[in-house]
Amino acid sequence: MDINRLETARLFHRFGFGPRPGEFVNAVNAGVSATREKLFANSGTDLGLMNVPQLVVTDLGKRPSPDDPQLASYTSELRRQNTELTTWWLDRMALADFSLQEKATWFWHGHWATSIKKLNFALPMYKQHQTLQKYALGNFNEMVTAMLDDGALQFWLDGQENTAKSPNENLARELMELFTLGVGRYSEADVKELSRALTGIQVARSSGEVTFKKNRFDNGTKSILGVSQNFDRTSAGKFLVSQPDSKRFITERFWFRYMSSQFPLPEETEFEGAFESREIRELLLALASSDAMRDTRYELVKSPVEWFIAVCRALSVTPSKLTKNSALLNYLEKLAQVPFDPPNVGGWPTDDAWLSSASAQFRASFASWLIAQGDISPIENLTPGERVQKTADLLGVVEWSARTKSALEGNTKNSKRLILLAICSPEYLVSA
Amino acid sequence: MDTVTRRKFLQLTAGASIGAAAAFLSIEEIAAAASARPLASGTPILVIVTLYGGNDGLNTVIPFKDPIYYSSRPDISYKQESVLQLDSQYGLNPSMTGIANLWKDGKVAIVRGAGYPSPDRSHFSSMAKWQSGSPKTLSKSGWIGRWIDSQPDDPMLAISLGSVLPPLLAGEKKVGSALPLGGLVIPQGTVGADFRKLSLPSTSDSKLRSLAANSMKDLFNISEKITPILKKPEPTEVELPTINGGNAGGDSNLTQQLNIVSKLIQADAPTRVWSVSLGGFDTHANEANAQSILLGSVSSAIDKFMSGLKTSKHGADVVVLVYSEFGRRVVGNASKGTDHGTSGPMFIIGDKIKGGFYGDQPSLSNLVDGDLSVTTDFRDVYASLIEDVLKSPADRYLNNWKGRTKFYKAR
Repeated sequence: MDINRLETARLFHRFGFGPRPGEFVNAVNAGVSATREKLFANSGTDLGLMNVPQLVVTDLGKRPSPDDPQLASYTSELRRQNTELTTWWLDRMALADFSLQEKATWFWHGHWATSIKKLNFALPMYKQHQTLQKYALGNFNEMVTAMLDDGALQFWLDGQENTAKSPNENLARELMELFTLGVGRYSEADVKELSRALTGIQVARSSGEVTFKKNRFDNGTKSILGVSQNFDRTSAGKFLVSQPDSKRFITERFWFRYMSSQFPLPEETEFEGAFESREIRELLLALASSDAMRDTRYELVKSPVEWFIAVCRALSVTPSKLTKNSALLNYLEKLAQVPFDPPNVGGWPTDDAWLSSASAQFRASFASWLIAQGDISPIENLTPGERVQKTADLLGVVEWSARTKSALEGNTKNSKRLILLAICSPEYLVSA
Repeated sequence: MDTVTRRKFLQLTAGASIGAAAAFLSIEEIAAAASARPLASGTPILVIVTLYGGNDGLNTVIPFKDPIYYSSRPDISYKQESVLQLDSQYGLNPSMTGIANLWKDGKVAIVRGAGYPSPDRSHFSSMAKWQSGSPKTLSKSGWIGRWIDSQPDDPMLAISLGSVLPPLLAGEKKVGSALPLGGLVIPQGTVGADFRKLSLPSTSDSKLRSLAANSMKDLFNISEKITPILKKPEPTEVELPTINGGNAGGDSNLTQQLNIVSKLIQADAPTRVWSVSLGGFDTHANEANAQSILLGSVSSAIDKFMSGLKTSKHGADVVVLVYSEFGRRVVGNASKGTDHGTSGPMFIIGDKIKGGFYGDQPSLSNLVDGDLSVTTDFRDVYASLIEDVLKSPADRYLNNWKGRTKFYKAR
């Protein structure tokens, strides 16, 4: 295996959403460190995002009663906003130049996995999304502070039910288990104490607006991980993030999603050191620069959204322009991954979970549907003899196996068919 | 089909939420389930055919000896010599040759004068009563839906063809599934062969790549089973007269729907209830030709369906129910059509059915407000179907309804 191609392909597919036409070959020629530098360079304004259609989300307010004639227009507007929010984000992923940022936001959405199914409204989800965008490559400490003020997360985990009089442990438990420390790195007593620190929040569901009510807040001393003080949500969040376990945990989570969910994060790595100041970009840069990038054991399956967006980028597809959006969302639903709708607070599964035969069938019909609307000229314009190798270059595939090569070579005169098979091939589904 | 009207129907009958709650299945999913857990032969299967619009019962099962029939509707009556005689007094609409043949084989039960107390002449509320199986206190759930509620979770249990779920299959807690029409996408022919190549193992495969390849191999194990069955989709039917009577719901391609159901039954789909529909029966004007074409389509579709299943191991287990939300008025209107009426015949067809007439023919000389009386409550038929075909106690789904119609052969 060509290790430079491997490392380049991993930079594109794991740290971004896959190459656009021509990008992969240019990157292989420029070399790995130039490619990495480009990947991490933030020019400030993302020109690709200029092409994302404007999103309109508003506060819809309280739902009209069942006999109110306004109900029909209300629910149709609600549905429109929810659908548009989803396709808007897919557009961002597909069109962004600074793919590192979008991919990290996608990672954080899976980390703080909040579902619109419970929230019901687009606006609070959109606000959470903006917070995740803002801190995606920023400081984790600041992210945690902001997320504890996030209406969608608070509502999702019943933060508004958590009062001094009757504490609700939902958010406290997940904050330690899934968001900051990892399971087993705290006691049940810590959960109870932390939930006291998180009290006082009220959420307006349709807007996601959070208000702090002093009379709902438990103003006593809380003892968390052996430290006693009058924690509130902000100080408790900062305290948790400052723990060495938090440094380890977040590093593990990035390893799991960016490097391997088959092999655990090795005991001794340079990554935790890179995350000392809780700067997320530094951690990602350390991962992208590590020897692990050249270790062929660390393969990863593209999740359905990652696969779809990679195809969009290769075939110059804008998701919201696909006809129809409802068919697109239906395919993603069949493949069990729709943005803003994770299956539970643990986020989406990985690897073999995406490789069922049912998914293979949906993927095949999804792929044919997509190709019919995509730009295949980068392959169509070539002579049949060049097409198989150039399809690997277009898609950012390291190399074709003998098996896939033979399937593709029977179709060199039919570019559509060739690309269909290529994007459904094991070499494309799995990031080598 | 007029989708706006159809949606209106669904909203009026069972609330707008039903469509959203239904799981949409694909042929592939059903095929995968058929492959993983095939339906045991001997398990009865119920196929419900809903005729939307109000089928004119008097021109379906025709009382050709009754002079009042001819005097009431001179423009739209069928002469004795044209009807397909069932006995000395009644005959089927001339277009219904398929069902007439099944009748001769003793496989057709015709329940005459079926309906419910205080008939409602609105398409939407009357269909809601039929589908809910609860005509007195209108229930938001369907009679099959309540049965689904009592069964273990299984999206394959009851499937409706078309993309909206009829209220019939909506329970209090669970709903049946919908199989959208026209979604037969299994890679076939040369694409299929190419996909098969992608599924082969390769020596250079890592663990996950070999899993990915293998997932496509499974796909073809399923396809191999299902593809020969699905290979030749029937040509779609001749244009049906939906202009005259087609604004009261229902789909337009019954033959195609039943063709898919037949193939999936043959593939051993673990499905106990199928729901299909045909619209267009709202024949207020120029009825004779339109209704005849529709009934001919129902008849030939069911005939093809039954004969297609003859060689299948499930052939003898299938019971087909045909009904409409109401019959039409006895006296024809000024547009050579008929307006909304009351009772009408139900058909129950299958190898396990004792052929013949059930229930009395409503008298034409003794009308109720100018309409046919109801001689059999449809709940008698539902209760018998629940007990005999779905093998479940009927009382709990039909509010302790006691009536039965004994058209099922004793086991």
